[in-house]
Amino acid sequence: MSRIIVDRLVAGYGAVTVLRDISLEVGAGELVALLGVNGNGKSTLLNCILGFIRPRSGRIVLETQGRTVDLLTRSPHEITNLGIASVPEGRRLVPNLTVEENLLLAGGGPRGRKDIAANLAFCFETFPILAERRRQYSSTLSGGQQQLLAIARALMTSPEAIVIDEPSVGLAPIVVGQVIAAIRALQEARNLTILMAEQSFFQAIEVASRAYVLSHGKIIREFDQTSAVGDAEIRNAMMGVG
Amino acid sequence: MLILDLGLNALVTGVVLGSIYALVALGLAITFGLLHIPNVAHPAMVIGGSYAVAISNSYGMDPLVAGVLWAIPFYALGVILYEFYSRSFESRGRGNTLQSLTLFFGISLIIEVGLVVAFGTDLRSIRAGYIGHSLTVGFIVMPYRFLIPAALAPVVIFLLWLYMTRTNTGLAIRAVAYEERALQICGLDPAAIKRHAFGIAMAMAALAGAALVITGPIDPFAGRAHIGRVFAVVVLAGMGTIPGTLVAAILIGVAESFVMTFLSPSWAPGVAFAILLATLGLRPNGLFGALR
Repeated sequence: MSRIIVDRLVAGYGAVTVLRDISLEVGAGELVALLGVNGNGKSTLLNCILGFIRPRSGRIVLETQGRTVDLLTRSPHEITNLGIASVPEGRRLVPNLTVEENLLLAGGGPRGRKDIAANLAFCFETFPILAERRRQYSSTLSGGQQQLLAIARALMTSPEAIVIDEPSVGLAPIVVGQVIAAIRALQEARNLTILMAEQSFFQAIEVASRAYVLSHGKIIREFDQTSAVGDAEIRNAMMGVG
Repeated sequence: MLILDLGLNALVTGVVLGSIYALVALGLAITFGLLHIPNVAHPAMVIGGSYAVAISNSYGMDPLVAGVLWAIPFYALGVILYEFYSRSFESRGRGNTLQSLTLFFGISLIIEVGLVVAFGTDLRSIRAGYIGHSLTVGFIVMPYRFLIPAALAPVVIFLLWLYMTRTNTGLAIRAVAYEERALQICGLDPAAIKRHAFGIAMAMAALAGAALVITGPIDPFAGRAHIGRVFAVVVLAGMGTIPGTLVAAILIGVAESFVMTFLSPSWAPGVAFAILLATLGLRPNGLFGALR
């Protein structure tokens, strides 16, 4: 069980400041959505949590098994090994490895190694299409299948938390529904802490328990009970008119 | 019948030569084929391995045993060299190919000059019980000094292939040039994987050095004859394939051997280049190249 806390984070590239004073929290076993249209800093925030971008100021900590770990001093692979897995934008699968090899590559790391057989069996059971295509190169899968593989790969590292960046991007609407449903099912089955950035908010708020709305690098709204919020209200918030 | 005899002899010679070429190219199949680092210094490193083996041999050690033992310090050298390369080049400006080429060309010269300063320009050879004897099967005569290193190649390539396909580190080495971020997501440090892979490539240079010095005497510049050929082998095999290296090297060995037998030995060095150019023009992914 782990909790991710972001505290007064400021980050950017060169002279451009992308994130201004971001504070948020993803509680243990919670699925939190990070909403916002393109170019508002969702990916930047996730990449700060994952160690790919060094913020200018602020704090990001992980609370896991009774200890508090400062993530800002860790490199990306160390953060993975602390139990935060990632389903990145663009999926980042290894094109010249097969489906199974992509999974084994993740499962053989320091964290997942001892559970590699059980994790692989779980992934193939949860996503039968991946079992069917296990010997195929990952680059020959359809977009939706690649997204499932990216999610399965995250599970292979035995994570406690998963950071998911735009799972719906580039997918047909019907496939988006399947991918989001899969994320929800996993979150419940394994009691994972999930932070999911999404711009197609209809699906996202259906599965999320809470949501933050990011606009121009700031959190402008926070919804504690997404089920009680109307679509129009969230849409307005995302467009910055709420 | 003479044509048939000559042809068969040329074929066997080509296969044997090709296997040895595969061993010489194997390190480059890792550095260039898998890591995409244009290590033109690899043949010079192989000659460095030959000298190391020759020194051990002068104390009475079997050259193949010496090659295996020298592989360990060569691995460490490779790790250090990669660390230097990555700090001075890759981390700044993301490893411009031209700069890397210049660096490795320089390293190649430094190795050659170092060998000249240390050992002079005289040819250096080794002693072993099987050198000077030949295996005769029918009308085919094959000296053991070619046969033994040629037999080493498939063994080493098979073991390396097992490592690359059956171990987590092997998968990571195959993945690292394509998608570094995937490794980080999997909890692996790409820099550590590349260092390790470069170390293995240098260990292969020690083994290839042993093979080369068994085939005949070498001098500090003997690597130069191999530069074009090792790149031709890796490109013909296809970037990133380990078993393909053996097939490509044997094809090139056989082609050279036939040109030597039926045309003229002076044309032989051009064969590899012709094959390199033809591959780039007709089949840029090589025979067994991974996609992309």
